[in-house]
Amino acid sequence: MSEDTKIIIDDDMDEVGEIEVEKERFLTFRSADLTFAVNTKYVIEIITNHSITTLPMVPEYIKGIINLRGQIIPIVDIRLRLGKPSIDMENNESNCIIVLDIDSISVGIIVDSVSQVVDSELSKISPVPVNNQRELVNGMISLDVNNVVLLLDCEQLVDTQTI
Amino acid sequence: MDNGTDSMLDMYLFETNSLMEQLDELLIEAEKVEEFSTDDVNEIFRIMHTIKGSSAMMEFTSLNQIAHHIEDLFFYIRENGMDSIAPELKKSLFNLMFKSTDMLRTEIEKVENNEPLTENIDNIIGEINSFLNKISNTSSAADSPEDTGGNDGPSVAELNMELANCPDDDAPFFIKVIFEEGCGMENLRAFMLVNALQDLGLPFRFYPDDVENNSASAQAIVEKGFFLALLEEEHIEKVINTITGTSHIHSYEVIENARLKGAQAEGDPDKAAEAKPADTVKDTPAPAASTSPAEAPAKQAPASRAHSGPVKQSLISVNLSKLDALVAIVGEIVITESMVTSSPDIQGLKLDNFMKSTRQLRKLTKDLQDLAMSLRMVPVSGVFQKMNRIVRDMKQKLNKDVRLTIIGEDTELDKSIVDGISDPIMHIVRNSMDHGVEVTSAERVAAGKDPQAEIILSATHTGSEVIIKVEDDGYGMDTEKILAKAANNGLLIKPESEYTKKEILGLLLLPGFSTNEEVTEYSGRGVGMDVVKRNVESVGGTVSISSELGQGSCTTLKIPLTMAIVDGMEIAVGQSIFTVPIANIRQSFKVSNEDVVYDAEGNEIVKCMNEFYPIIRVHQLYNVETEVTNIEDGILIWVEASDTSYCLFVDELLGEQQVVVKPLPSYLNNFNIKNSGISGCTILGNGNISIILDILSLYEMAQY
Repeated sequence: MSEDTKIIIDDDMDEVGEIEVEKERFLTFRSADLTFAVNTKYVIEIITNHSITTLPMVPEYIKGIINLRGQIIPIVDIRLRLGKPSIDMENNESNCIIVLDIDSISVGIIVDSVSQVVDSELSKISPVPVNNQRELVNGMISLDVNNVVLLLDCEQLVDTQTI
Repeated sequence: MDNGTDSMLDMYLFETNSLMEQLDELLIEAEKVEEFSTDDVNEIFRIMHTIKGSSAMMEFTSLNQIAHHIEDLFFYIRENGMDSIAPELKKSLFNLMFKSTDMLRTEIEKVENNEPLTENIDNIIGEINSFLNKISNTSSAADSPEDTGGNDGPSVAELNMELANCPDDDAPFFIKVIFEEGCGMENLRAFMLVNALQDLGLPFRFYPDDVENNSASAQAIVEKGFFLALLEEEHIEKVINTITGTSHIHSYEVIENARLKGAQAEGDPDKAAEAKPADTVKDTPAPAASTSPAEAPAKQAPASRAHSGPVKQSLISVNLSKLDALVAIVGEIVITESMVTSSPDIQGLKLDNFMKSTRQLRKLTKDLQDLAMSLRMVPVSGVFQKMNRIVRDMKQKLNKDVRLTIIGEDTELDKSIVDGISDPIMHIVRNSMDHGVEVTSAERVAAGKDPQAEIILSATHTGSEVIIKVEDDGYGMDTEKILAKAANNGLLIKPESEYTKKEILGLLLLPGFSTNEEVTEYSGRGVGMDVVKRNVESVGGTVSISSELGQGSCTTLKIPLTMAIVDGMEIAVGQSIFTVPIANIRQSFKVSNEDVVYDAEGNEIVKCMNEFYPIIRVHQLYNVETEVTNIEDGILIWVEASDTSYCLFVDELLGEQQVVVKPLPSYLNNFNIKNSGISGCTILGNGNISIILDILSLYEMAQY
């Protein structure tokens, strides 16, 4: 994770398993009343207040491109990508862009808000029930009682076939 | 070599050396699997073809001849496949290849050092030919290939010994030491060397053996060299170490005592024979049979160090990615510079010294930018001038009266592109000379043409691409002949009658196609056009051929400009900012409603300079919200790209600016953004992004 990433690390996550268990870290964020998790290995940084240059002739969910220190990064609105109504960018203070690097393809996603970073054992990731399959989700993680997050399928996000 | 050809020589050496590097790498890789793949064979064939051609041009006969024979050999292999060669012959094929490339390399080194080239190359050519005979005549494959090595070896070596004036001694190895020219007191220097060697405690003899007290021996050493006779092979290395550590030594050479070896070989032919090929493989740069292989690299190193002339140093090769990175950083600096100098924090302040410094900074960054750009941009004249020479030489060889007209040689292209199109252009020009132009001028006169044929080589900028044309006014292409030939070669994929003229001409670009049965020094075999196509496509260009039977033909290469920095006009449409390359803009003007006419479908058309052009409203096309929808409020930009011309309607012009082209993120390629009139984007001084419009594809898209 890059050092300029501004994330609040959850303090409750201190307990270390006695046996070596395979753990991965996930960044959770909210979008359209859903909580998603994205593996932190993909996350480059989280930015706010960036002016987006709109691009013509692209699907609506491509909000445009931004200039991130000389690098041009396309921006995807996760809400629109999932077929939900877009949020009002002006009136939502907490929304931000998570910049991801997926197999050296850089892409930024607009989310309503970022929540926390959690460690989760790989074994705790369960597949999505067949009947509830949906786009961009490839697993579910139950963090504790009443708290289940959807795992964002980053590969599918940049996959040419499914777009 | 006079001064005029120096730059050509530079280019030739650079090109040939990189080809040799390529070849070496290929050979070494191929040897690991003991097999040449089809690609390898084609590649070697192409490399040899290029070396052959350019060496012929530079009149380096030995290089030309060797390459020519290897080409022949690989032509056979290409035709018959690698499988036609018996496995036991494959090994000797590799040996032969290494030997030949060594020979080529030695010759190239001689060119570099401005030494006369080897005149007698019959030996290597004989070997190549006998090998070719061997593989083409499988019945005689029983002849062990080692025989050639065994028998040839000593005779050549013996010849070399005589050339080297070896003294009479029955030691198995000699080292010939040559002192630097004019260093003086050669006899004493030789004696010092002898003393140093004696310290090693090795048995050796030296000739002339009276260096200590006979000052006349100095002259003999200058003329013939100083010889050390060694008894054991393993001593050679130690001796060489001492020699390299001694000053004023120009070069040295290890010579096997061939008289002795010849005698040995007779007694034990297998051993002598086996040793040879195996050794040559190990040491790629072994220059000739005269040096024993193990010492060859050692011998070469100091020799080239001593020789390295000015020819080698005037060109260095830099990894293109470094240049890319440089240009990108310079681009960032240019942007940052304007961010600093036009920072809102200092607006309205009167800062004399600051302004002075920023002016200086601006000038320097501008210089830096120009320099960075110029590193990558080279005029095509270098490539075009090469053609002059080719046409001249071929004119004489083929006895044709042709003049070459060069147009637009100052057109600049990215270095990598110029390199990439050099070969293709050479092939096309050769083809035109060889097959395009009529054999005799009488034929031309009979056809009502100027007795002197003309080949026009032209380069023109058209905004987003450079168009290079090679035109000749010769026979033109006979479509029926092409069809028949293609049918013969099994290249047709549908019934002959269904081929359009354009498609037929396209057949010429397929691999393995050649309309000329005869193989000449310059062209034929159909190696040309498919290689042309591949090379041009690798730089992102396209090739097309047009021709009228009896009037000549024209090969057009369209090469894209991958220029990293362009002069652009910033335009505003609503909140968005776009950049139109200045090269595409012909004019911008205001119009009144009355100037606009409508076609049957209600499309807007405007008249400029007595011609009508369609109007494309950027805000409509790209769905940009803007208040400027009345044609009188905005402004029209008349743009042109290759043969497309139209007017763009935009809100306002913001000004001219040099911009650094950044490709759009690869993620966006999923959305076919390349065809939506956008060629890239750029970062403006304030950090905002401007989208660079591609005038040609924008128009195409607007049609749908």
